[in-house]
Amino acid sequence: MALWGMVIDLDRCTGCQACVMACKAENNVPAVGADEAKRGRVISWMQVLTETDEEHHASKTRFIPRPCLQCDDPPCTKVCPVYATYRNPEGIVAQIYARCIGCRFCMAACPYNAKYFNWYSYQKEAPGQNPDVSLREKGVVEKCTFCHHRLQKARERALVEKREFDPLEYVPACAEACPAKAIVFGDLADPASEVAQLARSPRAFKLQEELGTKPKVIYLTEGEGGG
Amino acid sequence: MAEVRDAHEDILFAPIELTGPGFYWAVAGLSVLILWGAIAYGVQFTQGLGVTGLDQPVSWGFYVTNFVFFIGISHAGTLISAILRLSKAEWRRPITRMAEVITCMVIFIGAGQILVDLGRPDRMMNVLLHGRYQSPLLWDATSISAYLTASLTYLYLPMIPDIAILRDRLGKRKLLYSVLALGWTGTEYQQKVLNRAIAIMAVLVIPIAISVHSVVSFVFSMTLQPAWHSTIFGPYFVVGAIFSGIAGLIVTMIIFRKAYGLHYYLKPIHFRYLGQLLLIMALLWFYFTFAEYLTGYYGAEPEELKVFWSKFTGPFWPFFWSMVLCNFVVPLVCLASLKQHTVGKVLIASLFIVVGMWLERFIIVVPTLSFPRLPFPVGVYWPTWVEWGETAGSLALFALFYLLFTKFFPIISIWEIREGREHSVREVEERILSYLPGEVEEKT
Amino acid sequence: MEHPPEISQRLVRRLQWIWLGGAFLLVGGIIVWIIHLIVASWRLDDVIQASVGISIVAIPIFLVFIGVVFYVFWGVALHGGKSED
Repeated sequence: MALWGMVIDLDRCTGCQACVMACKAENNVPAVGADEAKRGRVISWMQVLTETDEEHHASKTRFIPRPCLQCDDPPCTKVCPVYATYRNPEGIVAQIYARCIGCRFCMAACPYNAKYFNWYSYQKEAPGQNPDVSLREKGVVEKCTFCHHRLQKARERALVEKREFDPLEYVPACAEACPAKAIVFGDLADPASEVAQLARSPRAFKLQEELGTKPKVIYLTEGEGGG
Repeated sequence: MAEVRDAHEDILFAPIELTGPGFYWAVAGLSVLILWGAIAYGVQFTQGLGVTGLDQPVSWGFYVTNFVFFIGISHAGTLISAILRLSKAEWRRPITRMAEVITCMVIFIGAGQILVDLGRPDRMMNVLLHGRYQSPLLWDATSISAYLTASLTYLYLPMIPDIAILRDRLGKRKLLYSVLALGWTGTEYQQKVLNRAIAIMAVLVIPIAISVHSVVSFVFSMTLQPAWHSTIFGPYFVVGAIFSGIAGLIVTMIIFRKAYGLHYYLKPIHFRYLGQLLLIMALLWFYFTFAEYLTGYYGAEPEELKVFWSKFTGPFWPFFWSMVLCNFVVPLVCLASLKQHTVGKVLIASLFIVVGMWLERFIIVVPTLSFPRLPFPVGVYWPTWVEWGETAGSLALFALFYLLFTKFFPIISIWEIREGREHSVREVEERILSYLPGEVEEKT
Repeated sequence: MEHPPEISQRLVRRLQWIWLGGAFLLVGGIIVWIIHLIVASWRLDDVIQASVGISIVAIPIFLVFIGVVFYVFWGVALHGGKSED
């Protein structure tokens, strides 16, 4: 069984946010508008966080692209009252819009703030949207799904072409778009995959690892591990 | 036994038999507030939760605060009534009915707050059809159902003899009272059955009530968020609930004492005892609050400290220090000496505590959400007219339910007052005699 | 005090049975709901311990309620009319 994960090399990340834009385009993430953005309601499945060094404010800034960390022990799925979010056997934490009652408990529980809410019906039918991803109405929670629809499409294509599914065919939009190749995606359960090898790097660390969420997005720290 | 027709008892029947202009004015005023709340919710239902002040990351605000607050107030009734009954405190007699009605009415309002908070209230059946018991919200649903069922039963059973009195005395609503009175005629057998049933319910209701507010606290403490993930939350919330519940009860008692002229029944001694209970709860609340914040401060974990300082000196300091003033300083000053101006002092303390406990819930919910662990900008939360309207409408709805109840059933338990007059003096005397030194009598 | 037309005792008794039936429906419904959720969590292989654990406490409590309600109904309505003093 595959275990889909991601490694993000912070030394390569330039903070260009191509991943953010690619994600929004791929997943029909709505632009909420300037007024709503001012009220703090931007929806950004992939978000680049900036962390300024405490000692060197002016010179050192760290860019941390933060998708949903697809935890292996997700705090969000524990608290969902209606099975609207759950971890599937391949490690992807699913979000079922049709089931979600909008209680926002998962949002309160996520220590990474990876979940977003549709405060209004932001999305309307518009040309140029990705037909593979459903639109979300007001009142439901949404989040990064590792472009799960691309996995389904790749699997179906392999089935139609009567061949084995190759994990390398499945790449989320952010990994595909990154110009610095900072985002590597693949099957963590396959020790030979690039993701698994990078995850074992001495530079590897996980965000808030002490919380025990077992996130599957692993970061590589800058430099020789000195940060 | 012959019924002593007490002229003073007429005042207990007066709200049921007569309706004055005051009632209509009250209903009108409450209706305006309820209308505001209804319009606010209507706007929210059609447009979405965006009409509130909620945002990322402060995705819980007034509604969740109100939920915890109203469920807290519900601990007035059953807990006070049950504990006072079980401890054979005779001064409970005029109070229990009022307390029990508060509980039953306010649970509906409290549970309603969660429904108002949902992004998709049209899907609330999903909780019934597809619920997950690992989620604290389902624990909430179950324990609140249990509490509601228990409270309704615990309200209804002691009402049966009073309904029978109404059935026999009044001309109107005879069918309603006849059905609900279950054919009560006051025989010794019936008394025995009823007393046994009430005693069982009184014992059962206490752990259920404690579980309700513990489970409400678990909604917060089962997450990993700083200042929420604390083992003290269960007992802390229960203590806070009893605290706010007693205050709510006192306010209600004083309002209806004035409105219905119940001074003969609700005497300063009752308020004095309730005031003393309130003082104890204030000290207990302060102890839990102190322990909670000292632990956070001493441990100095960076995420906890962020939230801590935001409450003590940061953006939330007005709410935090107002809460301390309302819940601790004012009650201590008012309740320290209750010999004089009892009712006035107790009223002021209770009003402040009701406000202070609402602030306490707010101070628990919002600051933690405002300071995410990862480097996001700090969350800002400004409630809109929708949330204010919903809050006002909810309070008014509760008040209206309560008011309507008093029009149908006596708000003071008539038969328990009579029982107190006829039996209790002797029983208490026997009880006290049994405590004093003397030969232990053989049981005949 | 003038006496309004006598209420039919049969009507009253019938309504009381309906009243009791309503209580049974409410509590019974809640118990059925809890069991439904246990079955759902078993089918979906999702932390059945939580469902079973809660039901072990909750279902007996609801059974006690309905027992008390029925006891009062039986003691007061069905048997209470007997002349005992």
